[in-house]
Amino acid sequence: MNPAVAALLAGLAVLAAVWLGYHINNVGKLRRWLARPQRSPVPEAGGSWDSVFALLYRHEREHTREKRRLVHLVVRSAQAGRALPDGVVILDGSNRVEWCNDRAESYLGIDRRVDAGGPIVNLVRDPEFVRYVEAGVFSEAVGLRPGRNPSLALSLKLIPYGQHRKLLLCRDVTQEEKVETMRRDFVANVSHELRTPLTVLSGFLETVQELDLDRERTHKYLGLMAGQASRMQRIIEDLLELSALESAPAPERDERVRIAPLLAHTRAQAEAISAGRHRISLQLEGDFDLAGAESELTSAFGNLAGNAVNYTPSGGEVRLVWKATGDGATFTVEDSGIGIAADQIPRLTERFYRVDRSRSRETGGTGLGLAIVKHALARHDARLEIESEPGKGSRFTAHFPARRVVRVEHTA
Amino acid sequence: MPTNEHLSKQYDIDLDGLRSLVLAMGGLVESQIRSALDAFATGDAVLAERVIRGEQEVDAYEISVDQECAHVIARRQPAAGDLRMILAISKTVTDLERAGDEAEKIARMAKSIHASGRIPSERVPRIVHAADTALSMLRQSLDAFARLDASAATKAVHADAAIDEEFRAILRQLITYMMEDPRTISTALEIIWVAKAIERIGDHAKNMAEYVIYVVDGTDVRHSGLGMGRKRDEAHPEEAG
Repeated sequence: MNPAVAALLAGLAVLAAVWLGYHINNVGKLRRWLARPQRSPVPEAGGSWDSVFALLYRHEREHTREKRRLVHLVVRSAQAGRALPDGVVILDGSNRVEWCNDRAESYLGIDRRVDAGGPIVNLVRDPEFVRYVEAGVFSEAVGLRPGRNPSLALSLKLIPYGQHRKLLLCRDVTQEEKVETMRRDFVANVSHELRTPLTVLSGFLETVQELDLDRERTHKYLGLMAGQASRMQRIIEDLLELSALESAPAPERDERVRIAPLLAHTRAQAEAISAGRHRISLQLEGDFDLAGAESELTSAFGNLAGNAVNYTPSGGEVRLVWKATGDGATFTVEDSGIGIAADQIPRLTERFYRVDRSRSRETGGTGLGLAIVKHALARHDARLEIESEPGKGSRFTAHFPARRVVRVEHTA
Repeated sequence: MPTNEHLSKQYDIDLDGLRSLVLAMGGLVESQIRSALDAFATGDAVLAERVIRGEQEVDAYEISVDQECAHVIARRQPAAGDLRMILAISKTVTDLERAGDEAEKIARMAKSIHASGRIPSERVPRIVHAADTALSMLRQSLDAFARLDASAATKAVHADAAIDEEFRAILRQLITYMMEDPRTISTALEIIWVAKAIERIGDHAKNMAEYVIYVVDGTDVRHSGLGMGRKRDEAHPEEAG
């Protein structure tokens, strides 16, 4: 063989080996990378493999970006779902739990890590809810009092969406139910309070109409009827006052109410109710006035003083004290009356709440006085404090904050 | 083997349906007990009447679960874990039905106490507390059954000792009342019936929790002071189902 040809063949063989080695090496790199694409970046190479790897790199980069975007989207929706103020459970076609937010977990006592895949009715077993889920009519919501916390009132509603999926919404309606109960109680109370005097009134009317009474008797009955009529009138006036207090805007702070004459008036009113049966004193410490609505304060102070007189036996003492304190001012009504048991105190300001029904009627109370006081004071940023000891007496204190208190400037 | 796969899937659906049926019955019994106690505490005769009528529904559940169990056994001849599940279901249903009976008893007692105008006001809070414990135990047992969670079931088993203690305390208190004033005896006896019913509900809940442990672990912890491996509370080793 010609040595030149031999050298050429040997050269070609070497070249072929190098070329083959290059490809085998790059195929190996590609294979290793494809086995675990997340571990390392796309390999690099020269020559014809460069364009392959470059394309792959671009593809991989787009894929990663898309994936990150989707993950972000999923995380964001999950976060939004978890932040919802209501409980949310996602149910699949056969009412199994797919996902729920934290609120739903605490409302229904479920755990999304443990209970995913389990039927919702296995965990929320209330018969009414089970019937609701099975009936498949979801236009109405269903009420639920969870066993672990029966003071909580929940409203559950199923909303079908997507393909066969359902959203279970759980709303806390405890407050709404409470308001509804209060409203019902209030209406019942008003009717009852008005019916009692009305019954007496119509009873006397019948008597007067049907019996032939002498002048004296007739006069006496008419007097009793007038008493009942004025009682009804008082109730209605108090109710109107309460509703005005609730609906009108809060009193301006720049209207100045002169306390000294107001309290003198309050005292005179109390003296009139007492008719000399009590010692009533008024004490003014410091020259301070209040910013607010005069009529409301008159009514609040008058009610407090009137109560003290009505619930203090003859010969007792009632003290009215107006005093500046470090952080505002207080109006105190102190009596040596019958007092109030500790467990009754928190309920005193409820409408129509009475410690002793017969006694309250006897003194002409409507059961609304302290409710009016509480509302009127709240509108002046003041709070009512009640201390009492049965048999010893009571102390009602209205605390006014400094921003409502105005110093009296004496101009010469 | 598509046919086999299909069969075993159908089997799973059967078992899941059976469990859901038991849990629905459990939910009904829970609500029966709660209503009965409400009726007892408030004297609501209408509510008591509703509980008494509801008892029939509980019985109907028991019958249909039993039938369903028999069907699954006959058709599938379950083995191992599935067999334990079926056995546990059939026992759970018995305990649930009896807990339902106790609810009915409480409702009847509530009706008779309030019909006679004797209001057991001062004794109620203590009973209400015991009842809350029993109800929460029943809930824990049913939750453990729904999740097949043996450690939650273990907790429910331990809670029973507290109810038993509560029952003894109520008893002691009522005995004191009766000795002080014999006129309270008839009311006190009726209250003891209610307390006893609550105590029995706790026992049934405990049994149900033990069946859950049996399903999950395959160990029978009844009468054993709760399986040795699971004991956490050494205070009542002698308590037995």
